[in-house]
Amino acid sequence: MRNPLAAASIPILDDLIESDYVRSLVVGTAGLLALLGAFGLAFPGSVAGDLAGIVFSTSTATSTARLAAPIVLAGLGGIFAEKSGVINIGLEGLLIISAFVSVYAASVVGIGNAVLGVPALAVGFLAGIAASTLLSALFAVVCIEFKADQIIAGLAVWLIALGLAPFMSTVFFGGVNTPNLGANVGWRYSTAMVIVATVGSWWLLNQTGFGKHLRAAGENPKALDTVGVSVSKVRYAGVLLSGVLSGVGGSALALSIGQFVGSGETMVQGKGFIAIVAYLFGNYNPLGTLGAGVLFAGLDATQIRLQQLGYAIPDTLVQTIPYVMVIVVLALVGRTQIPEAAGEHYETEE
Amino acid sequence: MSESDADGRPSVVARLVAPFVDRSVAERLVISVAAILLSIVIGFAIVLVSGRIAECTTAAWTMPLTGLGFCYDPVEVYVVLFNGALGYPFAVGDPGLLNPEWTPFNLSFGLTLSETTLLIFTGLSVAVAFRAGLFNIGTQGQLVVGALATALSVLAVAPLLPAGRIAGVVLVVIGAAAGAVAGGFWGAIPGALKAYADANEVITTIMLNFVAANVAYVLVLEVFRAEGSSVVATRYVPEYAQFLPWLFPQSSDFALIALLVGVVFIGALYYFVEHTSLGYDLRTSGVQAAAAEYGGVNAKQTTVRAMTLSGALGGLGGSVWVLMSEGRWMASVPDLGFDGITVSILAGNNPIGVLPAAFLFGVLKGGALEIGFRTDVPTELVAVLRGLIILFVAMPEFFRMIGRYTGVGGPPGGVPGTTEPDETAGGDRGETDA
Repeated sequence: MRNPLAAASIPILDDLIESDYVRSLVVGTAGLLALLGAFGLAFPGSVAGDLAGIVFSTSTATSTARLAAPIVLAGLGGIFAEKSGVINIGLEGLLIISAFVSVYAASVVGIGNAVLGVPALAVGFLAGIAASTLLSALFAVVCIEFKADQIIAGLAVWLIALGLAPFMSTVFFGGVNTPNLGANVGWRYSTAMVIVATVGSWWLLNQTGFGKHLRAAGENPKALDTVGVSVSKVRYAGVLLSGVLSGVGGSALALSIGQFVGSGETMVQGKGFIAIVAYLFGNYNPLGTLGAGVLFAGLDATQIRLQQLGYAIPDTLVQTIPYVMVIVVLALVGRTQIPEAAGEHYETEE
Repeated sequence: MSESDADGRPSVVARLVAPFVDRSVAERLVISVAAILLSIVIGFAIVLVSGRIAECTTAAWTMPLTGLGFCYDPVEVYVVLFNGALGYPFAVGDPGLLNPEWTPFNLSFGLTLSETTLLIFTGLSVAVAFRAGLFNIGTQGQLVVGALATALSVLAVAPLLPAGRIAGVVLVVIGAAAGAVAGGFWGAIPGALKAYADANEVITTIMLNFVAANVAYVLVLEVFRAEGSSVVATRYVPEYAQFLPWLFPQSSDFALIALLVGVVFIGALYYFVEHTSLGYDLRTSGVQAAAAEYGGVNAKQTTVRAMTLSGALGGLGGSVWVLMSEGRWMASVPDLGFDGITVSILAGNNPIGVLPAAFLFGVLKGGALEIGFRTDVPTELVAVLRGLIILFVAMPEFFRMIGRYTGVGGPPGGVPGTTEPDETAGGDRGETDA
């Protein structure tokens, strides 16, 4: 064991958490927060005091909830795709396309209006999910039907969305950034969706026959084929689920502000890639993914609050912390238990 | 468990790379061309649809038969794109086919070749890593770091030398060396992480792109910013230390000498990959890591070396960007690294193929500027085309299927490659299972 934190035991969660990494994450984060809280109470006027004030403030909590939604939801989607044997590196693209389409659809309906009794923001949500699912369907066809290289096809999904969203924004709104809708989705909705999705994913993966098939498609497709279950169908389901969940995440991200920002790397800013790291870090466990996602989002939220308090750290530098952390985490965790047949095409034997 | 993981990773990579290495050159060429054409057709449809949705006062194009009006003219977009990128050699709509006033040394063609030159370096960077079975998405970051190192080193050394042509040559060499070293270092990080910590290079290089962009931005913002500059940028390097345009207009930011250096690098890299023992190690560990290890290749060292070389080429691309295009480092570095991925994939990761692929992308980028000037169509169209081309090149099976259905490529069994998928598929399988 490289990691002493992994040995610690957590009474209630022990049954749920089999992974050492998840355990060390939970213990490490809790320890750090406790330390920070203690320092903050002891020295209220110091940097630690300020930091503790930020970390434990409600505004940080709400913005963490807002920022965690796309990371956790896309990460959960990534689990389904990769468990089924399709590495979906295009999560970033799915987030981008759903972020734009959700804002576009909501603005077409118009805030305050409703379609068949469904309010504009909810229509935006549904449209964002539909767009993301559609793009993931394209990815699935390309990977499963046409045996494309999954990494390159995923990269293509990202680059297509990275071009298409600002393109459409310019067509519809005359600029890469959409105007603000003037209404947004509260953080409570995001939090609820994240929790429901996490628990639902855990249940689906571990407690149902579908979850069993999904894992078999990634670990031993031949065995699944032998018992008469179509590997392709299971993989389609896995990839489409990643599209649905990413769609919820991307829509939640954009609608929580009420705007799509399409300049540079767009408002998604690599959250899709951080999502991949979140589920790798969580070792394909939805609860671990939730923990890692909240941790990454919390860092970002703390950084934003630090700026507002006027600490003279260049914001760009602080924004770099999550990326560096991802690299460090990946270097420490390194080898993850990637499904045996992930990345490989499966040929049905008739 | 860890045993099977160690075996699992390389086999995934081998399967990723195998289609690009094994397939015959002719088939790869057919697929690349087909991918480009298909992307253009889909781009046409996108322009058409968005032209129907966008709002404008007068229709730019009316569809024959239906009489529907469109805000964007999809034919014009492509005419402007390709004709404009070359500086309008074709007189569209005029009686003569060719424009009599056209010379190759015009501004638009210079801009196109300038992009081509930069893409040669980033394309080679991605290609070298790919041949070693590594997916370097971090060329962008390596370019950013290399460019900053070039600008800072030239600015630091310039005052020590008497201004003049000789000092210029010395400064260019110092700048290029600094760019290559810095880019190489930035590339070596994911290489070492991959080799010694088994961290997936796809993720680490993407993360390092963000880190490079942010750190370089802050460094220039806080420390190296030119006084009185309204943008985040360093001072300009001295005029005599820049590649000077020769024959081409000054504002085209294109120097023939840089393109020649790029072509020399293509030749050198081709020789290195195909005809040296180090290149052989690189290729074998890319195609079949386990076999390479068995044959005495130190896979870990090869990984680090390949990523360092790849990073150095990306860094060199940054040097050329500073010394030829901008004359300084400035924030919002263009997406040259990501375009390098497309160039490399389109070229089948073959150094020789990088030249036409880079030129094609140079045309797309140069043409995008013309689209911005002359039409209302958003220039992001070119970014969409880039993604589509990657997608289609990644799915050769699709084109084989079309070939089979339509019978294109001669009678069954006539042309090898396009109509005999079993042969290549069998080859792939033998390769990875061995």
